[in-house]
Amino acid sequence: MSEAGQEPGEFWDSRPEVITRDILARYQGIGPGFWLAVGITAILFLIGIVGFVFRLQGGFQDRAAWGYYAATFAFLLATVQGAPMVTIGLLFTKAHLRRPVSGPSVLFAVPGILVFLIFIPLLSLIPPLQGRNNLWFGMAIGGAPYTWDTLSVGFLVLCGLAFFWLVSRPDLDAVRQLGRGWRVRLAGLLAGNWRGSHGQWWLLRKWMVILGVLYFVALVITNTVVSIDVAMSLVPGWQSAIFAPYHILTSLQGGVAATIVAMGIMRWAGFRSYLLFDQFWGLGKILLALSLLGIYFTFADFITLWYGRMPGEQAIFQLTMFGPYLPVFLAAFFLSFFAPLLAMIWNQVRQSIAGPTLVAMGVLVGLFLDRIRLYVPAFTAAQVSLEPIRQAPPAHLPDGADLMMMIGFPAGAILLYLLASKLVPAISLWQIKELLLLRTTRRYIRAKVISLAKPE
Amino acid sequence: MAGPQHRWGMIVDIDRCTGCQACVVACWAENNVTINTQDIDDEFRGYYWIRIERYWEGDYPNLKVRYLPVLCQHCGNAPCEPVCPVYATHRSDDGINVQVYNRCVGTRYCANNCPYNVRFFNYWERWPLPEPENPEARGKGFNNYLNPDVTIRSHGIMEKCSFCLQRIRRTEREAGREGRNVRDGEIQPACAQTCPTGVLTFGDLADPNSRVSQLAQDPRHYHLLEHLGTDTSVIYLKRIDVNV
Amino acid sequence: MQDRQKLTDRQINDDLLRPVERTPRAFWIVAGLLVLELAGALVVLGLVFYWGLGFLGINRPVMWAVLITNFVFWVGISHAGVMISSILRLTHAEWRRPVTRAAEVLTVFALITAALFPVIHSGRPWRTIYWTLPYDFTRGIWPNVRSPLIWDPSAIFTYLTGAALFIYTIMIPDLAILRDRATGVRRRFYATLCLGWRGTARQWRFQGIAGILISAIILPVFVSVHSIVSWDFAMALVPSWHSTIFAPYFVIGAIHSGVAAVTTLMVILRRFFRLESYITPDHFDALGRLLIPIGLGWFYFFFMDFAIGLYSQETVDIAPNILRLFTPPYNVLFIIFIFSAFIIPVPSWFFRRVRRSPLLMLVTTLLVNVGMWLERFLIIAPGLQYKQPLTYTWGGYTVSIFELIITVSSFCLVALGVLLFSKVFPIIPVWDQKEGQRLQDEIQTGRRKVPAVILKEE
Repeated sequence: MSEAGQEPGEFWDSRPEVITRDILARYQGIGPGFWLAVGITAILFLIGIVGFVFRLQGGFQDRAAWGYYAATFAFLLATVQGAPMVTIGLLFTKAHLRRPVSGPSVLFAVPGILVFLIFIPLLSLIPPLQGRNNLWFGMAIGGAPYTWDTLSVGFLVLCGLAFFWLVSRPDLDAVRQLGRGWRVRLAGLLAGNWRGSHGQWWLLRKWMVILGVLYFVALVITNTVVSIDVAMSLVPGWQSAIFAPYHILTSLQGGVAATIVAMGIMRWAGFRSYLLFDQFWGLGKILLALSLLGIYFTFADFITLWYGRMPGEQAIFQLTMFGPYLPVFLAAFFLSFFAPLLAMIWNQVRQSIAGPTLVAMGVLVGLFLDRIRLYVPAFTAAQVSLEPIRQAPPAHLPDGADLMMMIGFPAGAILLYLLASKLVPAISLWQIKELLLLRTTRRYIRAKVISLAKPE
Repeated sequence: MAGPQHRWGMIVDIDRCTGCQACVVACWAENNVTINTQDIDDEFRGYYWIRIERYWEGDYPNLKVRYLPVLCQHCGNAPCEPVCPVYATHRSDDGINVQVYNRCVGTRYCANNCPYNVRFFNYWERWPLPEPENPEARGKGFNNYLNPDVTIRSHGIMEKCSFCLQRIRRTEREAGREGRNVRDGEIQPACAQTCPTGVLTFGDLADPNSRVSQLAQDPRHYHLLEHLGTDTSVIYLKRIDVNV
Repeated sequence: MQDRQKLTDRQINDDLLRPVERTPRAFWIVAGLLVLELAGALVVLGLVFYWGLGFLGINRPVMWAVLITNFVFWVGISHAGVMISSILRLTHAEWRRPVTRAAEVLTVFALITAALFPVIHSGRPWRTIYWTLPYDFTRGIWPNVRSPLIWDPSAIFTYLTGAALFIYTIMIPDLAILRDRATGVRRRFYATLCLGWRGTARQWRFQGIAGILISAIILPVFVSVHSIVSWDFAMALVPSWHSTIFAPYFVIGAIHSGVAAVTTLMVILRRFFRLESYITPDHFDALGRLLIPIGLGWFYFFFMDFAIGLYSQETVDIAPNILRLFTPPYNVLFIIFIFSAFIIPVPSWFFRRVRRSPLLMLVTTLLVNVGMWLERFLIIAPGLQYKQPLTYTWGGYTVSIFELIITVSSFCLVALGVLLFSKVFPIIPVWDQKEGQRLQDEIQTGRRKVPAVILKEE
């Protein structure tokens, strides 16, 4: 896939010019593998749109039919919008780990456009606030919940795109100066007036932090508002306060998992020198910690509902966990939380590259199943009433249109990701080169050690 | 003990309740419940194994009151039972939620968990009662009125209505000695015995011919706080409101 | 680290071991006062044990009040130890070095104090002590494993054991230094405790592994302890308590109050033992920056609990909140709580000037703990006061002086514990400081010298 570029080995042992040349070469070269991937995902995305059209023909009256659509949206919201948080979180903790990881993770901000578009039809499925429990204290202030939900999802997506653009500016400028072909003009347009001056770098760092904070706040608010309005408030008697934090946690977990998988695929596609064992190890440990927290949150939900033995709560318990969707719940719990724990406590699995990547793939599947077990029952048991439900309705299985959408929309997200990776260099050039300035080896008595700078 | 397994229950017919509080006094006398003064009540520490709740409706002069006798419901699915760390409260085979005084360590979790608020904690040692001020009554001691069949609770433990378990066991023993089963209506807790209007009826819910089983079929019947799923053994009969 | 100091080993030894080797008069005065107060507390407790819990303010329905608030509060404070020690150790944060042992010691004594409260607030403590132990002492009856009150002691004692082992294991090289400098009985005492530490390469390697292992193992314990304490409330049917979010809400509240308590302790230790070279404004800066996301995260969970608490729009859920927000005395307490725990401290920590000033950090973190104590109280007492759907027995609550004395005594007990510990063992880890000195480095980038840290070989 790359042109006659030099493989730099481990990037931190290399020189800046070599790195720049290599990454730009990979960025310029669009090989057959890439076209194949784009082709396949485009076809699958078209299939998804066809499925969506089928579903639209059924109208919005039958809320249960849209359950899998909502679950797909929730899965994409969690994964796609959770991925940039990896970079932002590592930015807040001043970890140098973020430098190579930033490329794969922030690229996920671009499929956010698709997430926003998928969200819009869901608004017709949310009934007005009267006569049911809701987050807005019964008052439709400012068009709640429709306006605020749309605004929060939109703001989150915009924030992600803004962060993506901000972080990519220096690299787009590099493309403008050193690249070839029609993309140079596009990159130049996006890079704007970037000159690499002292003031501009200072502003860049400042705005990274500000946008990072805004993005995190937007993520928290969006997950809270969307999860409650689209799922929990539809079912009377479902008032689990941990629902929203659980969504945030699984979104972060999905983001980390998506980043790891993207990194794994990128390594396979040739970026072996930049996505090294250290990155997989670090993100793998974070994934393990988030899986443990996932077990914890699920258990907190379970024990509170189970212990009280109140009929209204028992119905919710059956609905989302141990009733008709038990196989889905067990599979989701195992793949998302339990299997990562079982696998990653072993050194050989955790301290490798394939280990975290495989576990992350399992986590993504588990996350999708988890959203299914939360949103599909919510849509089938939805009622406008204040009286808690007494029984869980039987399981709603996906039909053809549902399956087409469940395959098509994630494929669409991947398509946008692939296109974005050829818009902007897939590994963040400036962040990697910055590390070369901050890292050095020293002799300590008889050993060679690494010295890493911690600038304030 | 041979014989059929009982499931003791009580019917409370609210339509008949006049709020006279005779049941409260009878329970106090039978079960050695402490004397409440105004100070104790102001501190919210009064003991009422059965209490008559009063709910006022309307304004003067069109004031109406509803009386609701509340006692331990002896729940089948009792919230107070799983939370006791020492198993001091559990459901007996014959349907009574028993409180084991000598096992209780007084953590009061059961009282927090009871949605009917019918559990009482002994804050002080109350016995023997202080000598009365009247010199003529001195030495006569107020303690002679205590029922010897019922334990005196020391400080630090929980107590609550026991369906006059002492009466149940005494009657069962007598019946056993005479080689017969307990007859319906033979056991009467103090409150049921005293009620002048017949609000409280006690009996065996497992016996389909007993008066309580028949009253339980009444279309007016309901359980208090049914939505909590506590499966109470005390069944209430709704008040008939003629002014609807 | 911007204000780095170059300190020699000898200087470090002298400075950090001075509190152990020399006893100023102030120590005796403070210790004496604390012991006096605790003696008074023992008298009070004796009265309560003998005459009954009538001395406390509890009534029906408010069966749990100030003493359980203290229990939850001290378990909360105990979380700081693990947060700072193990998480910062695992993430290789350099600024943890002076702070870890003090945090862990605070944990141990806070836990011991916390463990006392369920015992003293029960009606018959002389029975509670052994009937809740996992053995059938009487008539073959084991404790009820289904009760959250039995989960509590298992969690707390697991944490206490883990924390004690943590302190001890990490302290072994320091005990060796003390052994080398001591004579007579003290030498034998330290020699026994330090298990023959010689400082060989092999022993240091095991020391490093032990530190990492025990940090990782104690993390699940740390999350589980306050969750289990929170489930004392969440398992109950009390409407304002029965919420699925209680476990993470309480844990993050514990971290908030715990890290604030450690900061308070650091300011006091710095002043009391003259450790200005070791506990620098950099450390308070880092603690402040850590406290911001913790405080904000706590506020999010608090808001979720509050919002979903009102979600069902039923009287039983709304009434306790109206009581909390609008009815005296709870409304005053609520305002004090929200301002002390969040509105004043957290925004102030956004400012560098505040974060780097030990005095301002002391004030803000003390406020945080005042607020967090009130937070627990506002969950417990108003929640119980209006808990039942049958409103006839809605009650009231008045604090009693005995409860306040016991509360103050718990602070004195923890203070005395930390003080006595710092007399016998060094409260700032000595070898950790020396290691930090060795790992300091600088990298030249262009014309700037950037501070750096030498990473250990993995």
